Amino acid sequence: MISAQNISKTFNAGKPNEFTALHGVSLDVHMLETTILKGPSGSGKTTLLGLLGGMARPTTGRIHIKDREITSLPERFLSEIRRSTFGFIFQHFNLIKGLTAIENVMIPAYPNGEKYAQLRKRALEIMATFNLEKRIDAKVEWLSGGEAQRVAIARALINNPTVIIADEPTAHLDTRLSHELMGIMSDLRAKGTTIIIASHDPIVCDSNIADRVVEMRDGQIVCHGNGP
Amino acid sequence: MANLIERQRYILDYTVSALLRRKGKNSSLLLVYTLIVFVLSSVIFFTHALKKEAELVLKDGPEIVVQRTMTGRNQPVPLAWAESIRKISGVMAVRPRLWGYVYDTLLKANFTLMVPAENQPEQGSIDVGSGVARAYGASTGDMIAFAGHDGEHRIFTVRNIIDSESQLLTSDLVLLSELDYRDFSGIAAGQASDLVLRVRNPKEYSTVAKKITRMYPDSRPIVRTEIQRTYDAVFSWRSGLIVLIFSASALAFVIFAWDKASGLSAEERREIGILKAVGWETSDVMLMKFWEGVAVSLTAFLAGTVLAYAHVFFASSALFMPVLKGWSTLYPSFRLTPFVDFGQVATLFLFSVVPYTITTVIPAWRAATIDPDAVMR
Repeated sequence: MISAQNISKTFNAGKPNEFTALHGVSLDVHMLETTILKGPSGSGKTTLLGLLGGMARPTTGRIHIKDREITSLPERFLSEIRRSTFGFIFQHFNLIKGLTAIENVMIPAYPNGEKYAQLRKRALEIMATFNLEKRIDAKVEWLSGGEAQRVAIARALINNPTVIIADEPTAHLDTRLSHELMGIMSDLRAKGTTIIIASHDPIVCDSNIADRVVEMRDGQIVCHGNGP
Repeated sequence: MANLIERQRYILDYTVSALLRRKGKNSSLLLVYTLIVFVLSSVIFFTHALKKEAELVLKDGPEIVVQRTMTGRNQPVPLAWAESIRKISGVMAVRPRLWGYVYDTLLKANFTLMVPAENQPEQGSIDVGSGVARAYGASTGDMIAFAGHDGEHRIFTVRNIIDSESQLLTSDLVLLSELDYRDFSGIAAGQASDLVLRVRNPKEYSTVAKKITRMYPDSRPIVRTEIQRTYDAVFSWRSGLIVLIFSASALAFVIFAWDKASGLSAEERREIGILKAVGWETSDVMLMKFWEGVAVSLTAFLAGTVLAYAHVFFASSALFMPVLKGWSTLYPSFRLTPFVDFGQVATLFLFSVVPYTITTVIPAWRAATIDPDAVMR
């Protein structure tokens, strides 16, 4: 379980542009479930997602992953947890331009130092499941939106994460591709991957993969509910 | 251990691809950097080689040279001086020398004529330095003509091309017999160009010089240590080091300023954020940037140094020889003997590669220590 206890997050503390994105939020994310964080822009979904994934530290409060408190961990250990536990899918894909699709997929595994042939084989297998075999050596800037999104998902899976964190994954996809993405998420869920998605897209929020829907507004959780 | 090596390899691979992805910026940086290292290295190689050449010149030179001046201008020395100077206590030997210069108006080059103490060429033949041979396109057995003091040309046969450790010493040299020289220069039989002295005790140089001045008020004794000091003032390790440190500091400053001015682009910061977000550690990012800095600065350093070596020792410092040599531009061209002071090269390395690498790593470290979600927002 990933547990956030009474966490708040303030940006630019002490400066004129100080802004508190989260106010004392508590949330338990159960493993093997799909949790959807729902809410309008500026409600704090992305901030909460970043904190749960160890990409930032809360200003106050504690976060535990499987009973391990991560808030006070040194940066080195936090990086290791990010790498081994989470796979991130970003709103803007955040692929590295100038590199090929397969290089982008392999990047998160570089610090593990496993054999190149072994890593490439795994990357090819994952890309094949997303029908990207013919695009492995294409520079990512030449990929279509759907292909780029699938490369981003493949990258999130390269280290066999137990948790997938996706921030507005359908924001830049059309309806067909959004449904396709939800199909991929459904497959991942079926394979036992825990999924946390932040979105205000009805295709995501109303999909049948959601076990829990958490509604946020103004940096607070306003409603917990079970999925459809 | 195997994982650690693979990890380094991945980071190196990534560094190379990162460098190639920013080809434009890195190529221009490499070009500017190489050019600066080239100029600095050329100055270092050139001044050091000249200093070594000067040391070679002075190594076997006389302890004291006695000239005669009249209202500040050099005059021939009467041979009678040699006898009286030899009687000064501490003087081991006195030898009159016959030497001077000849200017070839066609070649626009100055050559040094000299009568050697031993193994004089027979009348009508000469030994020439490599620069003279090159200037006239002459080899052994060929004939060369020089215009004498009366404007008449004397024709000499080349007996030998002088092969010497130092080209600076012999490149422009023409050795000829005493009779030929006197005929050529018009210097009278009882006179010499100057006198060279051997003195037993180096501590007595100045005492002997003072005695000569007292004996012949129109004489000008020049002690070897004075010549050494003159050379040192121009080419010594002190001046070289000052030039080096100043220039290297300037280089470091230029590179630093350039790098700071350009800094990390938004694209680079975003890339670091992505790498951190997907699990790279701060140390991985810093290592990547470290290799990037080393690759650029070391390449520039090596390229600049090798080009400078070729420029100074193979192309006779073609780019700035006239500026550095001053009046000596009248010399026929010569090649400096390759002498490299590795201490100076190491200093240049420290003042160029190290600061650049540090200035590459610091901005990356700053970006890498920020939470990845902040970098990506």
